[in-house]
Amino acid sequence: MKRYIRDLGLMLARLDRRHVRVGMAVLTLVLFVLGAGAPQDGSAGGG
Amino acid sequence: MILLLAIAAGLLAGLARAWHGGCRLASPSLHLVWLVPVAFVPQWLAFYLPATRRLASDDLAAAILVSSQAFLLVFAWFNRHESGFWALGLGLALNLLVIALNGGLMPISPETLSRLVPDAPPGAWQIGRRLGGGKDVILPIAATRLWWLGDRFLPPRWFPYRVAFSLGDAFIAGGAFWFLWMLGKGHGKRQNKQGRSDYAYGVFARCRERFAKWQRVEPLGKRGGGKSGVLRSAVGRSSDSAENRLQR
Repeated sequence: MKRYIRDLGLMLARLDRRHVRVGMAVLTLVLFVLGAGAPQDGSAGGG
Repeated sequence: MILLLAIAAGLLAGLARAWHGGCRLASPSLHLVWLVPVAFVPQWLAFYLPATRRLASDDLAAAILVSSQAFLLVFAWFNRHESGFWALGLGLALNLLVIALNGGLMPISPETLSRLVPDAPPGAWQIGRRLGGGKDVILPIAATRLWWLGDRFLPPRWFPYRVAFSLGDAFIAGGAFWFLWMLGKGHGKRQNKQGRSDYAYGVFARCRERFAKWQRVEPLGKRGGGKSGVLRSAVGRSSDSAENRLQR
């Protein structure tokens, strides 16, 4: 049982590391795009 | 918001591509990632957070926008090897150029504004003032340097979201979409003879691999084992170990 839990934990850790890397890349892209772009919407607000 | 739509569309397209290709999203190796939040936080305070953006004077907002975009340009330069970053960097450079030449804010003409908000009362905007706490400044075309790089494009009428955007914004949206689309190419693609990892070549390679696996399945009874022979050859090592366990 302990071994299964450990294996599951290792698998989740691997998944998490991958997902975190992709998620960080997407978040970085979101911030970059919001900072680099300057569109003006109809509400006359920012971004 | 229009740029976030490009990101959402790119992410969906990249996930669909990865799913269709039988692989997972690639994780890119971006350099100097810390530059992006460092550059964005001042912009967030000056342009996005309602409580603080009204407090920033036009001059302060202009200084923040120019310096922040300069940092982002450095980030784009150091990541130019990534797919789509040439478009992201070009779009940012175009925006920064027209912003820097027009006092530190993105110019938008009264004509574009009247098309963007047709039911606004006359005199609703003041020439030369920042528009609603955002990144735009209202300038007539005659007084705008490189006016064709300002916020002058509008989406077609059928588009539900009204927004004015610049040529640089279009490049940025395209670059963001392309970057996420290329993440869907996944890891570990085989390379063809020209050293390129083509999508079509990947599909062809997978078909060839499945055909070779199918060929490895030996006919029934050839190894004298009947069912076990077929199992061993068709499924491989895992079935062998299962069979051994049964025999033991």
